[in-house]
Amino acid sequence: MAERDVTRSRSSAGFAGGAPVRGEVSEGAVEAPSDRGCGAEPPSEVLVAPWVDWARGATRGRRLLEAGTYALTEGAIAAGCRVFAGYPITPATDIAEYMSKRLPQVGGYYMQCEDELAGMHTCAGASLGGLKAMTATSGPGYTLMHDAYGWAITNEIPLVVVDAMRVGPISGITGAPGQGEFYVARYATHGGNFETIVLSPSSVQEAFWLTIDAFNLSERFRTPVTILTDQVISDMWEDLFVPDDYDALDFVIPRKANLMMPFFPVGSADLDVPANIVGLGTGVCVSAYTHTEEGYDIEEMEAQWAQTYRLVNKIRHHRAELTRYETVGVDDAEVIAVAYGANARTVKTGVLESRRRGIRAGFVRLITLWPFLDELFERDVPYVVCELNYDGQLVREVMRAAPDKRKVHFMGKSAELHTVAEVVAGLEGVTRAGRLPELPYIWTEVR
Amino acid sequence: MNKLAKKYLRPSQIPTKACHGCGIGMIENWLLQALDELGLKQEDVIFGTGIGCVGRQTFATWGGDNFGATHGRALAVATGLKLAQPDKKYLIVVGDGDAAAIGTSHLIHAARRNLGVTVICEDNMGYESTGGQFSPTTPAGYVTNSSPYGMVEPPFDPCDVVKAAGATFVAETTATQWHQTVKIVKKALGNDGFSFVHVRFPCNENFGAYALGTRDTLKNLEWIYEHTQGRKADGSESDFTWETGIRHDASNSRPEFSRILRDMNARVQADRAKVGSR
Amino acid sequence: MALFKLEKKPPRGPAGRWDVVIGEDMCKACGFCLNVCPVDVFAWRTAPNKISWFPMYVAHEANCVGCMLCYQICPDFCIDVSSKTGFREPKEFASG
Repeated sequence: MAERDVTRSRSSAGFAGGAPVRGEVSEGAVEAPSDRGCGAEPPSEVLVAPWVDWARGATRGRRLLEAGTYALTEGAIAAGCRVFAGYPITPATDIAEYMSKRLPQVGGYYMQCEDELAGMHTCAGASLGGLKAMTATSGPGYTLMHDAYGWAITNEIPLVVVDAMRVGPISGITGAPGQGEFYVARYATHGGNFETIVLSPSSVQEAFWLTIDAFNLSERFRTPVTILTDQVISDMWEDLFVPDDYDALDFVIPRKANLMMPFFPVGSADLDVPANIVGLGTGVCVSAYTHTEEGYDIEEMEAQWAQTYRLVNKIRHHRAELTRYETVGVDDAEVIAVAYGANARTVKTGVLESRRRGIRAGFVRLITLWPFLDELFERDVPYVVCELNYDGQLVREVMRAAPDKRKVHFMGKSAELHTVAEVVAGLEGVTRAGRLPELPYIWTEVR
Repeated sequence: MNKLAKKYLRPSQIPTKACHGCGIGMIENWLLQALDELGLKQEDVIFGTGIGCVGRQTFATWGGDNFGATHGRALAVATGLKLAQPDKKYLIVVGDGDAAAIGTSHLIHAARRNLGVTVICEDNMGYESTGGQFSPTTPAGYVTNSSPYGMVEPPFDPCDVVKAAGATFVAETTATQWHQTVKIVKKALGNDGFSFVHVRFPCNENFGAYALGTRDTLKNLEWIYEHTQGRKADGSESDFTWETGIRHDASNSRPEFSRILRDMNARVQADRAKVGSR
Repeated sequence: MALFKLEKKPPRGPAGRWDVVIGEDMCKACGFCLNVCPVDVFAWRTAPNKISWFPMYVAHEANCVGCMLCYQICPDFCIDVSSKTGFREPKEFASG
């Protein structure tokens, strides 16, 4: 079979409608409206993510038509995941099925646990024993994982959790996308005194690379990472480039073992501390309690300070390593739309369509959801936050980060993606009339 | 510190947090004897526990690698660990709350899968760490902090549950059966599969105080002794007797869980090599 | 038959065969060793130890018959009983 030179066709960086990088516009980008803006200059498109370089370097591979769940699975296998322990739940069930097939092929273990909380604890145990582990669920299962998520946070265990959100609360509409766990993913366990890392892909290709990135970050930061995706990204089929030889991917960070004290460098925010592995005879203690450097429990305020210093600042002090986003036309924007995940696709198209109609609209797509990228909201312009929930979650963070919260508008929708027409109407309304128009089934109140 | 404690335990954690007269330390001493007599070293064993008295008072006393899971989930963590570190011996020391209440689901499934771990369920017949509420193993009718009118829920024996789920070694002893317990734990560790050893022990501070009416350590251990023998010191019958001894021994009769998965992997990879597919 | 023997038997056999050691700073004064001992080896101290209990101490080591019941019953890893050099290991006694 002849080898296709992937770099000359549409890039595999996973960009919706093509993969321009830092001001370039790709030749192959034909899905989006072809004339890109008002006036002669197309809006600049920027993608900040490590897979821009990865995609350029990984040229030997296959081009497939596959679903997001397939991409999430293959990304995990490529990153070295060898244990999946979970429970089937729509729309993440396909990940479990793919894993049950793929893991034995690579010497890994598929575990179908009695419930999600067993699944997450089993993943934590497997990772603690030295194998990279992942689980995949939806909202109802993610809620059950909170105890184990906290156990993994406090014991600095690398882990990846996929939460494919659907409409809530609770079982909600099982076959429709939602974005109702934005805050839940940040506060994925009880007790406070921690930070979390949450990423969100917006295409099938991006899901592949982002999963590898999630595993890398979980190793570097010694923490569970949530991939917050949704039913649309999970179930939709798009073209997907998969490299041939996973062993040759030099950007995958391998599991290393911490062989000596301190097992938990409390009071320090150091990155790239190797993971503790139980079973190597180091004498490490791992538990649910506030702990010392050796890992056993201690009930002193000073120890709580030192442990919290590490759990919070290992992430906060290294935010630069966690910055991933996409922007379109923000430099000259008079209004900026904000979205992530599946509905970012239609919102971006809406932004480009608005440009055609003479509105200098810009677009911010968050890829890193937590820690929240405050620096993307420094411009003093109106923001239109489009998210798939009615109660308003992302919009509250944008209000907090933006210079004038009165200029932050909310377009909430549930069970269906925002249509391009709705986005255009919203951007036009905010620019020309200073407020959002009345649109059926679009929620605009935040308080 | 006695010689075995010096050999296996973590000096900074001894004396333990246990109350005086608590049976947890006795049982841990017998576990160390079993390990010593089997010739196991500290690095051969992974010690896992949960929450509650049995969790808190044993956690980190082990000098080697050990984990304290969240309440009831020690077996779920052990399932994952066993996949990654199959060659170690696992001593999962949990209480009656962890095993017979909040964690029973994981107990049942670990037994069903025949996971190669040895569970020591140390049962003080109540939730003593939180002050002495009843548990699913509190004897019927006994007064506790949350059954002030007497325990009305019928209790059950977790041994019956794990046996029904498919455990390959099930035994029960009490805190006055030191030699039996050491022998039984040795046999349990010799089973490459799911072993469950249920050891009843006295709590003086809470169960003793509220259910038995005294914190006297001698009287409470005598109470355990009476219910092990079936007779009181004066010769009269006790109100019930625990059924002690090996209840079920099918050691090494079924394949161990992680081995099943490894065998399946070998089969899958051999088939793929034959076909030559990717 | 009770577990604890409050009446002590007189010692038998040659005296001083056994080394009995108690880690007094670890003792939590449960009283098991003194009461399970069939002969008269242990007694209570009259001053508290570092962890604020009045501990047990080995008052009459020479009386020890090597039954090892105290070693088995101590909940705090305090006691070691070993035969003095030159004597053979004890035979195991069945528990009560």
